Amino acid sequence: MTSIPSQAAPALAIRADAEVVENRSEGGANHRLRLRVQGWPGSTPGQFVMLSPGSVGEVRRDDPLLPRPMAVYREHPAAGGAAEVEILYRVEGRGTALLTESAPGEAIRIVGPLGQPFPLAAAAARCLVVGGGTGVASLYGLVEALAAESRPEVLLGARSADDLMAHDDFAALGRPLVVTTEDGSLGETGLVTAPLERALARGDVDTVYSCGPTPMMRACAELAAAAGVRCFVSLENNMACGFGACLGCAAPRPAGDYALVCRDGPVFEASEIAWDGLP
Amino acid sequence: MSAAVDTKVDLGGISLRNPVLTASGTFGYGTELAPFLDLTRIGGFVAKSLTPQPRIGNPPPRIAEAPAGMLNAISLENVGVEAFVRDKLPALPDGVTVIASVFGTEPAHYAEVCKRLAGVPRVAGVEVNASCPHVKAGGIEFGQDPRALAELVRTVKRATGQPVLVKLSPNVTSIAEMARVCEGEGADGLSLVNAVQAMDVDVARRRTVLRNGLGGLSGPAIRPIALRMVWQAAQAVSIPICGIGGIMTAEDAVKFLLCGAVAVQVGTANYLDPAAAGRIADGIAEYAAEQGFPRVIDLVGALESW
Ligand SMILES: Cc1cc2nc3c(=O)[nH]c(=O)nc-3n(C[C@H](O)[C@H](O)[C@H](O)COP(=O)(O)OP(=O)(O)OC[C@H]3O[C@@H](n4cnc5c(N)ncnc54)[C@H](O)[C@@H]3O)c2cc1C
Ligand SMILES: Cc1cc2nc3c(=O)[nH]c(=O)nc-3n(C[C@H](O)[C@H](O)[C@H](O)COP(=O)(O)O)c2cc1C
Ligand code: FES
Repeated sequence: MTSIPSQAAPALAIRADAEVVENRSEGGANHRLRLRVQGWPGSTPGQFVMLSPGSVGEVRRDDPLLPRPMAVYREHPAAGGAAEVEILYRVEGRGTALLTESAPGEAIRIVGPLGQPFPLAAAAARCLVVGGGTGVASLYGLVEALAAESRPEVLLGARSADDLMAHDDFAALGRPLVVTTEDGSLGETGLVTAPLERALARGDVDTVYSCGPTPMMRACAELAAAAGVRCFVSLENNMACGFGACLGCAAPRPAGDYALVCRDGPVFEASEIAWDGLP
Repeated sequence: MSAAVDTKVDLGGISLRNPVLTASGTFGYGTELAPFLDLTRIGGFVAKSLTPQPRIGNPPPRIAEAPAGMLNAISLENVGVEAFVRDKLPALPDGVTVIASVFGTEPAHYAEVCKRLAGVPRVAGVEVNASCPHVKAGGIEFGQDPRALAELVRTVKRATGQPVLVKLSPNVTSIAEMARVCEGEGADGLSLVNAVQAMDVDVARRRTVLRNGLGGLSGPAIRPIALRMVWQAAQAVSIPICGIGGIMTAEDAVKFLLCGAVAVQVGTANYLDPAAAGRIADGIAEYAAEQGFPRVIDLVGALESW
């Protein structure tokens, strides 16, 4: 196993009213949101933000009440010392449906960057990055950050071609990319765990990174463990605050106690999680 | 404009620079929100409820959204009173007013926590959580039975010389009766309300949304109930009341003051906006100035009759 070099501590989070620059459908339920944020301290791949659509300052929106956790898909500097923070999201329910209504020029409250980032594997390590569903959005920055020498291979799974997030962006990164869809509308037919099993069978993989639906991450963790390969997962528990104050996002640990997904994660080494106890 | 308004209030012997506190369990141990809010700008904060020993909470799901609110069943996960005094208190900046919340499954446990906190200079007072809506034993049982409540308050008052606030449950028939019981046993103030006992169901899985089944409802959904109870309690007793329940804005907070609360606690709103308490404190002072009240305390109970 390759050791994981230590990284600088993530930046302190801010609370800001972000300006919507762009918010558009990418076809199907997937949307791309670009936000201009003043004072954005910069994030590290794997970190997330809490977004409160439709609520700014004293303007009230009591329902839906809670902010929604979203990964920072990518970010870059913008005019006037601000940063542009990009989010890819999928309409799941009321909160994300409301998010689609935020028009350019409007404001959305943002709190972040939050959580612990992905530990980056050493340059010499060989990495597999496995994404499914909305989890794909958490992985783009990671693939960009992993050194070219670590030859990261990207495996993305979705129900159908329409559901797959950010396919073009990932393809443009120029890393080996395998796509699976359950209905066969794009790439291989089946689950993303099939190419994962094949890659692990080669015996040259050091680290697996995974983000997606819980059953998918669990399967990745089990396949990696069976192959003796280190595996990091990024959990998507429901959250109320995102910064360790409500204790709502508990994930069970093998010792019988709980980790907080927002503060101790969302990235965990797979062996730190007692998978049977996750909802 | 608001600088001219005197915002100081006295909550049962705890002097606060302004009437806005953050509610127990919604602000961690005070450091979690430090990047977003200068705690010395608000009246103070009530820490997560403490038990004699560290306590592990419920299995997930522990939270769920509800109409204009949320359900929680955290089950009082906390570091225990010893670690609170040793690690959490010293991590707070100077000048932050700290109220420690105490919990137990029997009066002796509450007394044990209070005794440990008694000599600690950073603790300005204690709040007795007599009302947790989802713990299997303790909490709400004390808040719902007048005799058990009386015994609890008596025991705690004997255990500490610090100001004692009693946090009451809204899950009672007569809040006035419970308030009088606390006053009779020497409580220095009342905090009301805790979360409202509630539940919800996921029909797709035919299960309760929370693993615990029952939970506590908080947020704007409970504000009118909380307001009613604060008003009724204020009619019944003369000890000060701290109003809690669904406060999101300064306007919401002012309603509680007008109904007789001398201070308020902000809970669920912290999750949406970790700077909420500061915003609300500023807004109350602005309201007082606009309405021609030189002191925030003059707003307390200033409800006009029809
Ligand atoms: C750290 C983190 C990063 C995330 N990053 C992204 C991202 O980049 N893009 C993206 O589209 N989504 C992301 N999610 C998931 C996203 O937060 C949820 O899809 C969203 O909160 C659903 O809100 P809603 O109001 O639309 O749905 P709701 O009405 O709240 O729920 C609809 C359905 O979605 C489920 N759901 C609710 N919250 C979550 C959740 N947190 N995770 C998974 N399922 C949930 C509910 O159980 C329900 O079945 C992330 C979650 C976490 C914890
Ligand atoms: C996640 C969560 C945890 C809570 N934990 C505690 C606690 O430990 N002790 C306590 O006295 N009240 C606790 N409460 C209740 C709050 O302090 C407050 O009384 C209640 O939420 C109503 O106020 P709100 O509507 O402003 O949130 C908790 C509330 C929530 C939402
Ligand atoms: S979401 Fe509140 S503690 Fe993690």
